[in-house]
Amino acid sequence: MRTIFSYTIPYKFSAFVALALMVIELIVELVQPLIMAKIIDEGILRDDFGVVSTWGGVLIGLSLLAFAAGITNSFFAARLSQGVGYDLRRDLFKKVQSFANKNFQSFSTPGLVTRMTNDVVQIQNLLFMFVRIALRAPLFIVFGLVMAFTVNVQLATILVLTVPVFLIFLFFILTKGVKLFKAVQHRLDRVNTVIRENLSGIRLIKGFNRGEHEEKRFVKVNDSLLNKNKRALWLMEVAMPVVMLGMNAIILIILWLSTDRLVAGTVEPGEVVAIINYATRIMFTFSIFTFLIMVFSRGNASANRLEEVLNEQTPTYLQDGGKKVSLKGEVRFDNVSFAHADQPTLDGVSFQALSGQTVGILGETGSGKTSLLHLIPRLYEKSGGDVYLDEYQIEDLDVKSIREQISLVPQEVHLFSGTVGENIAWGKEKATKEEIMEAAKQAQIHSFIITLPNGYDTELGQKGVTLSGGQKQRLSIARALIRHPKVLILDDSTSALDAHTEVRLMKSLKKQSCTVLMVAQKISSLKAADQILLLHKGRLIAKGSHEELIIQSPYYREVYQSQQEEVM
Amino acid sequence: MAHKHHGIGSAPPKVGDIRDTLKRIWGYMAKEKKMFYLILVIIFASSGLSLLGPYLLGVAVDLVIQDPSASVIVTMLLWLLLVYTLQSIFLWLQNYWMINIAQNTVYDMRNHLFSHLQRLPILFFQEYQQGELMSRLTNDMENVSRTLNTAIVQFVTSILTILGTLVIMLWLSPVLTLLTLTIVPALYFGMKWITKRTGKYFKEQQKHLGDVNGYVEEMFSGQTIISMFSREERVMEDFEEKNEALKHSGYWAQVYTGFIPKLMNMLNNISFAIIVGAGGLLALNGFISIGVIVTFTTYSRQFTRPLNDLANQFNMILSAVAGAERVFQILDESEEKKDETQADHIERIEGDVRFDHVDFAYDDQQLTLSDVHFHAKPGETVALVGPTGAGKTTIISLLSRFYEPVGGRIRIDGKDLKTITRESLRKQMGVVLQDSTMFHMTIRENIRYGRLEAIDEDVERAAKAAHVHDFIMQLPNGYDTMLDSDGKGVSHGQRQLLSIARAMVADPSLLILDEATSSIDTVTEMKINDALSELMKGRTSFVIAHRLNTIRSADLILVLRDGKIVEKGSHRELVNQNGFYADLVETQQAEKRASS
Repeated sequence: MRTIFSYTIPYKFSAFVALALMVIELIVELVQPLIMAKIIDEGILRDDFGVVSTWGGVLIGLSLLAFAAGITNSFFAARLSQGVGYDLRRDLFKKVQSFANKNFQSFSTPGLVTRMTNDVVQIQNLLFMFVRIALRAPLFIVFGLVMAFTVNVQLATILVLTVPVFLIFLFFILTKGVKLFKAVQHRLDRVNTVIRENLSGIRLIKGFNRGEHEEKRFVKVNDSLLNKNKRALWLMEVAMPVVMLGMNAIILIILWLSTDRLVAGTVEPGEVVAIINYATRIMFTFSIFTFLIMVFSRGNASANRLEEVLNEQTPTYLQDGGKKVSLKGEVRFDNVSFAHADQPTLDGVSFQALSGQTVGILGETGSGKTSLLHLIPRLYEKSGGDVYLDEYQIEDLDVKSIREQISLVPQEVHLFSGTVGENIAWGKEKATKEEIMEAAKQAQIHSFIITLPNGYDTELGQKGVTLSGGQKQRLSIARALIRHPKVLILDDSTSALDAHTEVRLMKSLKKQSCTVLMVAQKISSLKAADQILLLHKGRLIAKGSHEELIIQSPYYREVYQSQQEEVM
Repeated sequence: MAHKHHGIGSAPPKVGDIRDTLKRIWGYMAKEKKMFYLILVIIFASSGLSLLGPYLLGVAVDLVIQDPSASVIVTMLLWLLLVYTLQSIFLWLQNYWMINIAQNTVYDMRNHLFSHLQRLPILFFQEYQQGELMSRLTNDMENVSRTLNTAIVQFVTSILTILGTLVIMLWLSPVLTLLTLTIVPALYFGMKWITKRTGKYFKEQQKHLGDVNGYVEEMFSGQTIISMFSREERVMEDFEEKNEALKHSGYWAQVYTGFIPKLMNMLNNISFAIIVGAGGLLALNGFISIGVIVTFTTYSRQFTRPLNDLANQFNMILSAVAGAERVFQILDESEEKKDETQADHIERIEGDVRFDHVDFAYDDQQLTLSDVHFHAKPGETVALVGPTGAGKTTIISLLSRFYEPVGGRIRIDGKDLKTITRESLRKQMGVVLQDSTMFHMTIRENIRYGRLEAIDEDVERAAKAAHVHDFIMQLPNGYDTMLDSDGKGVSHGQRQLLSIARAMVADPSLLILDEATSSIDTVTEMKINDALSELMKGRTSFVIAHRLNTIRSADLILVLRDGKIVEKGSHRELVNQNGFYADLVETQQAEKRASS
């Protein structure tokens, strides 16, 4: 809660103004009954119309003042709550930008999305309520108690003694409520997860005819959300009737106790009436409390969830500065190891790619190819050894600057909403039309794009669903080429291309003046490489040119021959 | 899709009318009509008790003051205690039951929305942004839920209290009542002014929340790309824009909402001033007694308090309507075409597949497929070859009936595809898609997805056949390892192996492999090839692949170009035709020669 609370600091001016305005309103509200009493007692009852018109005028004047204060309060309160909401969303988004893979696994994307929207809304509600009515409850209770004391100390003491009991009760509800609402938000994440999977996997679901199964799965998570939600809300609904019954009982007890005192003459009848009046008012105030408790429980639960994200440990190297250099494109691994989720994935890998060379990487599924590639732009952090770019250790370089000079095309294509052109332009800030077309031509996708109804301005679905796998891969390559990288990393990015297209693409890549590291399954794609690395279970078992490997490595030979047979 | 809003966003507001929307929500609540009426009765009772309580208390106070030693006092207090207890119990009951109904209603709406999504055609999902749709199922539903929990009870209570007080006021003094009612027009116009604004901003707010949700979802799932391209700042800017829009609409919605209680409070005070002022004048002239004015002022306060609640609840209902409208827009999207009435449920498909001059086009545009004509006998393997975008995946989508042909006919076992229910057709099919979707479940459950009745041994057998068993066993929790829905942590190749295992478990009569092995290294592929050909044996299979070994052994090879079949036949036949296919083979052989 503390971290979230610190978000109100930039808005402390708005908060104070809102609170001050609320105090004005409250004062008017407290004074009002006194004036009304005066009008009735001294004006109406005594037939003094002068008093009625004067104090009536005062009352209307005060009402207008309170109205003006209330309206102005609304602006400041909204500025506070919407401002904090905005800042929270911005910082959450920023934080997630620095998430590494590991962080994503501990939260899951739908969980993060729920936090960014639903949980932030809960906090906004809490803040808005807080600066508008929160002070009212304690203030009215204290005021009621003080007034009761001025009337009769003995009877007022009973009231004072009971108030903490209610507060403790409400606090108990609150703590339970926070837990329950946290569970509710967690269930909401799960509902979100199933929805998201169904939206992105709809082809598979329809293909396997699993619609009914998915509905059952959804009903299950929805059921559990329903149960948790009901339980939390039901708990909240207990507060009000219990407090009301308790306060009413107290009023009856006061009334009963005052009978003896009335007989003894220690209490005036008017005092009894007054005390009961104040007790009733305090009771109504408690009902505001019960409402606040609901908002507060939800807000608190959400605040905890947001803090989990904001306080998440993310890799620090992303913020650290470092040398900004213009790279020549040399990559060197010196005895590098890497562990993924405590499992060794790479072990003692050493190789060197000279500037402008093409290095092919071959290995079985799960041999560590992707991990090796991800170490270069520091998407993963190595656990041992050294990685050099030119003569620099990568730790000494500014991450941003090296990423600007490296392009990685991941195995799985992720395109964004927007046009084909915008997706290619993603790779380079302020890319011109010509640059976009040039990159598309290099990636062998230009001739396809111009057949689209709107050419480069054709809109893509979120995941580019209407494009075939090969088209998506080539778009993704165009996006990488547009920035003229010094190092180009292709993580099996040509797998869905037909042989013709692949050959043309490889020829075009040759013309680029950059170091290329590429994973491929087909030796034919790698044959022309200056060097081929053969990975097996995280170890580099052979390296050399195609010709060298054919002679040196029985494993490579085997793979090659099998593929040759395949080609026929 | 933020930029493109055909359909959902820009469709003329079919459900724009608040009354229609409320009616539709009521349609869901009506399931628990009896419970609802019971709640109304209880609200009636508790409202009565809440009026009776203060009255009895007044009587009791009078009794105590007049004769503190009277024995009736204890009885009176006990009666009061009973009234208070009942009041609290009723209060609790009405809220308890109302939450029950409200949450059940929201639950039903969510389920309905979800199952409707399952029935929407594939094309729907290609057009809308995932995160935006997610927002409708969660954020918009939450908005409805929040309102239903409390608004109805308070609404009814308010109306009852207002009516009750009005009757008493009329009975006390019709003139003063009329005077009190002078604030009603001010209230009406004030509320109209406010809700015209809140209503608008509530709608905007939900839309902007949806936009933020959509953007965030998309960016978070593409995080690697963003980091890789150092696009954090640019993405941040785009996000700020959406965040700003949400802040703007949220700000004004909240500001105007905040006006309501203040307006009510002021009107309340003014009505008081009017009563005492005008009442005083009337009393001076002897029209009414002073006592009446005094009692009247307390009642007029009782009149305006529920009026305030009513105004607040009305506003909350507007906010719920803004959410509900967005939900109903999805429900109004038309479902995938229903199976034809005479459609049969088929137990087992032999696998004789015939495309008779099939044409296909998206949205009446130019033909994506034209005159596709071929015949696959049961158990045969059909390979689809051709440059990317030639229409290979479309043929498979037509066969699965994700799309409907615009011309020609598709027949399975001699029956028109249209005469077979989609469900029974798809039950016979097993698919391995190139994006190898995985679910947030254990590996075991993910493989079992192919056939839900499969026992653990079946799952493991399939995993072994797909050569993914060893990998699974290396994981700390083996088959019980939870997978992420984005598949983070498992390589793409491994996921393809898992999805092959999934198809193996399914034991389908029609098998579809859409670039199923593209990310698997050739060594592993060779290992699973035996298993795959075993899998393909006795089933009609459609294979899209670039590697020639699978293609070569196919019984029928269809070479596609620009949506047309340009060559068809067996490997040998096609090589002899000296066409596109022969070219393709030639290229690969040339490469081989060049390297050896």
